[in-house]
Amino acid sequence: MKKGFRFLGLAIVLTMMLPLFAGLAALAEDRTTITYSMWGNDEELRVLNEAIAKFESEQDKIHVQAIQIDRADYVGTLNTRVAGNDLPDTGIMAEDAVLMWAQQGMLADASNMYAADEPKPLDSLAFTFEGKPVGYSVANEILLLYYDKKAFADAGVTPPPGNADTTWDWDTFVDVAKQMTLDVNGNNAKSPDFDANNIKRYGVMFCPDFWQLEEWSVTNGGAWYDKDGNVTINTPEAMEGLQRVADLALVDHVAPQYGTNTATTIDQDMVAGNTAMYVNGQWSIGVWLANAQKTDGLDYGIGVLPYMKDKVTLNTGGVNVAFATSKHPEEAMTWLKWYAKEENAWGLISSGIWMPVNSSYYTDEALTHKWVDNPNFPPYAEYKSAVVDYAFGYAKPASWYWVNNTNLFNDALSTILAPCWSGNETVADAITQNIDVLKAAHEGM
Amino acid sequence: MARQEARAAKLFLIPAFLGLTFLTYLPLLAVFILSFFKWTAIMPQPIFIGFNNYIKLFTRDPFFWTSMKVTLLYAVLSVGISMIYSLTLAMLLNRKMPARGFFRAVFYVPYIVPAMAVYMSWGLLYNPDFGVFNALLASHGINKIAFLADSKFIIPSLAVIAVWACGNLIVIFLAGLGNVPRVYHEAAEIDGASGWQRFINITIPCMTPIIFYNLLMSLIANMQVVVPSLIYAGSNRTTYPEYTFMSFMMYRTGFINNDMSYAAAISFIFFLLIGVFTLVLFATSKSWLFYEEGDK
Repeated sequence: MKKGFRFLGLAIVLTMMLPLFAGLAALAEDRTTITYSMWGNDEELRVLNEAIAKFESEQDKIHVQAIQIDRADYVGTLNTRVAGNDLPDTGIMAEDAVLMWAQQGMLADASNMYAADEPKPLDSLAFTFEGKPVGYSVANEILLLYYDKKAFADAGVTPPPGNADTTWDWDTFVDVAKQMTLDVNGNNAKSPDFDANNIKRYGVMFCPDFWQLEEWSVTNGGAWYDKDGNVTINTPEAMEGLQRVADLALVDHVAPQYGTNTATTIDQDMVAGNTAMYVNGQWSIGVWLANAQKTDGLDYGIGVLPYMKDKVTLNTGGVNVAFATSKHPEEAMTWLKWYAKEENAWGLISSGIWMPVNSSYYTDEALTHKWVDNPNFPPYAEYKSAVVDYAFGYAKPASWYWVNNTNLFNDALSTILAPCWSGNETVADAITQNIDVLKAAHEGM
Repeated sequence: MARQEARAAKLFLIPAFLGLTFLTYLPLLAVFILSFFKWTAIMPQPIFIGFNNYIKLFTRDPFFWTSMKVTLLYAVLSVGISMIYSLTLAMLLNRKMPARGFFRAVFYVPYIVPAMAVYMSWGLLYNPDFGVFNALLASHGINKIAFLADSKFIIPSLAVIAVWACGNLIVIFLAGLGNVPRVYHEAAEIDGASGWQRFINITIPCMTPIIFYNLLMSLIANMQVVVPSLIYAGSNRTTYPEYTFMSFMMYRTGFINNDMSYAAAISFIFFLLIGVFTLVLFATSKSWLFYEEGDK
């Protein structure tokens, strides 16, 4: 028994000393050590460390040390590290914090990261501050309309189109959502006997991540900001798009009140049969749905989003940045550039969490097959048109790619719009009456 | 001997004094000083801006007064109901009854359940579509209620959770009830006093120090409420005004949105607010606090 404890103790001590050995090894090889901070679980850390091992096997100049930080405290932890003069050399960054950090001069200019003739991430994935890129998204994530195939088959209703050419307009979408919404007596929302107070399954649910709401202003021909970053959310189109989302619950009774489904995730709601359709990002496949398919037998399909005036989906993705405080800017950029190549972050792509960032994966069929042909994804043809082609042809960047202080703006907007979801105020009234508050938040005041 | 004891006492107080100085009073002073600067945690140097943070807080911040209002409303509601509920339960649990220990444990357990689990579970119970409470309402033909997403219901619904989890108050009340001299009750019984008269004239006066302690601790704890906001609202979620408690405002401003100096101003005003309520409680307590020795 005692021996067992000794062995265990020794194993723990040796494990704890591993980073030291790795550092000494780097020293012995005369490598420059740089750090890379990331959020994510232990599995994602394992995949990252595999990538780092591959990177180090391909060159002998740079050693990368991963720093894992909890997602909820990620930016806060980096703030603390700034105060302690202990910022990593590189790291992933929350989208809504990138331009704020750039404004404070904390991010390195990424203009020269790629030579003109080099393959680089899609332009829509560049976060730009004062006209210069300061980082590229690690993935090209888009919003999609997931659905429960069995629910649609049982109802005899045509499921969401998986092709932007034939996608539903908003009225068709609402009509289908009504057909798929059932009360406890089995009546759908088109039936005169429908009991809106006793809904068993909704037609559609929305991920409660607030930034995704921008989609519905954009598809209605509006925007929360113009291309120069001025606030335009008070235009009729932008406000009407949001009101239509509110009305799905208030008028049509096909969705729960916006923002109330925070206790459950897409897989839980779909497996439990709480909804027939669900709007969320592509990452849902890798994070939840692939697993739900395996363990709970969820037969999910992917459709493109319905549209109001313009066919569009928003794209986003965590950003890889080099911090301006790094003493090794060249090495930092070398690592980020290497890591941005799909083959070097393949674990996260093949699991369905990340989408490739280079255009070749969207245009070269062989590469698309390499990406999509794996058991984590739906059948190739379905995914190709609903995700690959849709992302390449219809995606627009979320506003935080070029607008600063979106975190302050969204915080203010989420509180201003709150009464609208319960029907106590209209979106137009709420926004119009508080436009100065929103503009002040946008200015960082 | 007395001098030696005094010296020993001072010696043993040094660690506590150092801890308080470096971990409480100096940081408090630093927060106060920081509130006169503009500093975003990632700025190289703080910039002195005088009272601007306070001027913005009181004149331009659209959420500050709402924040103060909902914080006070929640605290008053939670503390008021918790005090009545926990004293009533403590009275019941103080009676001789079978399985008394078991019931005492049952009502204490919610207090020690991790806050995350408590609020997640209540979130499911309160769910407007699939929650138990709405199922009960629906079975009686009553329209569903978005308990955690309707401005009229959010604060009362959160207060119910706070009341449910106030097992600590029950335990302290129980300890206090055990110390009410039995002889007073016996004398009153002989004189023909009813149960209610004994409760009002004996139990309550004897319990006032305990009531004062529970009231003070509960008020401070409930004014510092933040967990429901983090779980039900948080960053990147719809944040109803009823979730913008002052602690949450402070956290979101400083640690999510990086504006440390403005968060410092919020926290200093918040500190003053709690201080004022504590002082009011202490000042008024002289008129209703009874000690067994006869001091009032």
